[in-house]
Amino acid sequence: MGSRLTRHDKIGIALFLIPAITLFIAFFVYPVGFVIVTSFMKWDGIGEAEFVGIKNFSTILGDKVFIRAIQNNIWWSLSGGFIHVPMAALVAMVLSKKPKGWKFFRTVYFFPNIISVVALAMMWMAIYNNQYGALNAILGKIGLQSLQNNWLGQLGSAFPALIIHWIFNIGYFMVIILAQISTIPQDYYEAAEIDGADGIKKDIFITLPLIKGAILTCMTLSMVSGLKHFESVFVMTNGGPANRTMMLTLYVYNQLRNFRYGLANAAAVVLIIIGICAIVGLNRLFSIDFKKIGRKKISTGGVK
Amino acid sequence: MITKADTVAIPLKTERRKEITPVDTLKKFFMWFVIIWFTIFTLMPMIWLVVSSFKTNTELVSSPFSLPTKWQFQNYINAFQVSGIGKMLLNSLIISIIATVLNMMVASMASFSLSRFQFKMRELVFGTIIIGILIPINALMVPYFTLINKLGIYDKHVGLILTYAAIGLPISTYIIRGFMSGLPVELEEAGIIDGCNFYDRFFKIILPLSRTGIVTAATFQFLFSWNEFIYAMLLTSSQNVRTIQVGIRYFSNQFTTDYTSMYAAIVISIVPSILGYILFQEQIISGLTQGAVKG
Repeated sequence: MGSRLTRHDKIGIALFLIPAITLFIAFFVYPVGFVIVTSFMKWDGIGEAEFVGIKNFSTILGDKVFIRAIQNNIWWSLSGGFIHVPMAALVAMVLSKKPKGWKFFRTVYFFPNIISVVALAMMWMAIYNNQYGALNAILGKIGLQSLQNNWLGQLGSAFPALIIHWIFNIGYFMVIILAQISTIPQDYYEAAEIDGADGIKKDIFITLPLIKGAILTCMTLSMVSGLKHFESVFVMTNGGPANRTMMLTLYVYNQLRNFRYGLANAAAVVLIIIGICAIVGLNRLFSIDFKKIGRKKISTGGVK
Repeated sequence: MITKADTVAIPLKTERRKEITPVDTLKKFFMWFVIIWFTIFTLMPMIWLVVSSFKTNTELVSSPFSLPTKWQFQNYINAFQVSGIGKMLLNSLIISIIATVLNMMVASMASFSLSRFQFKMRELVFGTIIIGILIPINALMVPYFTLINKLGIYDKHVGLILTYAAIGLPISTYIIRGFMSGLPVELEEAGIIDGCNFYDRFFKIILPLSRTGIVTAATFQFLFSWNEFIYAMLLTSSQNVRTIQVGIRYFSNQFTTDYTSMYAAIVISIVPSILGYILFQEQIISGLTQGAVKG
């Protein structure tokens, strides 16, 4: 456009920006400011807020439950980044060979990502159920009664059971990586064949380096979402047994429910800081140009 | 002209292709092992849940993996009667649709201003909105709760609609603005010559041409609104406004020991998602992946 704007245009630009800016201030700027300010206050939501300095932070950092929550979130993130995503890459590479019915499998693997996290959690509660669950029934059938367990109720098994219920649902990242594989020109493989590379060599020396960017993006996405996960833990164990499955967001929620708004927001500030540090840090570490990847997606028309 | 070398080389190559080495067999075996393992893990729980939802509770305990002796729909009748699932699906639909429309209107208007004109604050405004993508929304529970209460829209549809429309704003603006920036300038110059003012150019030229970007953003926004849980729970209390996601969580309280009816209710709540996915598969996959890769 020309650099000179008419008065009419200027008014239009401003009018068109007002709704977005209003919503953004109300739901992003004000809340973040609010969280930061009240994290230094003792406040129950009704009475007067009282400035207490960094007392809220020292309280939560001294709270074993909070430390447990951070640890759990980190485990959740690491299993996402280093088990979940590599499996997704493996399946994407397998399906990229277009075995019989690969479109069907691609559709099926995506199912758990399309039904909501809550519905999936309820489904797995049915499977882990102590009396009626499918898992215990299978163990009974194959004569392993000794392994039958109250999966979500026992201290040792609750957290692993939570991780296992989603870790094989690789559809989402698989689709992203598969789209990346489909952009690799066929000539590369033909050239390698002439040089005598066989199937596995082609996978390792051509496919893998070329999808590295997509894999690192997926790892970042998976790890960052692991830091703020809430729904399935809330539904399946609500942090129990004995806070073994406590998570950061659940901790914030519990403080809110107990009208300890200052503590809730101190925990929220920690969550925001960890979240932003993770995105920026992982981004630096993997040196990914997000914009570039996004543009590539458009040019290939998304997932084909 | 065919040389001797060619005639020799061609059969050699095909011969090598046909020969199945133990390594090939092993590779094939591994490939199918991977495919089948993930299929079992994904599909079996769903199939088991659906089959179980047609059984009686006694049958579920006595023979958990057999097909029901009699396929009976009593569980589904119970599910509808006990849970009020119809009303919850309707609430989810209303809230998701209006939140998506509102979000698209606000985001595409802002994107138009931020993509088709040069002005001083442009990149600052856009950059600030984009930072919103980085903020973990779950951390803002207390301020959203107090804000919605202050506005007097706690436990009302409009409270969730406004919240969802606002939360999705940074991502939608990012996607739509990216799309609008790519449209050629000549389009508007032609429009100006034809006497189109600011609003004509938006509604008649840019908006229709940005359809692809808007549909992608809308898909992402709709799925987010449909599946959102924390704020649906935190910002409502009565059954009148309850969305399906919050409703699912209450199934275990509502049905207590009537497990098979609860399974039926879970199946009902999953069906719309699966149907929508099968109908709009390509759209949903590209909407979800693009939205997330950018977010």
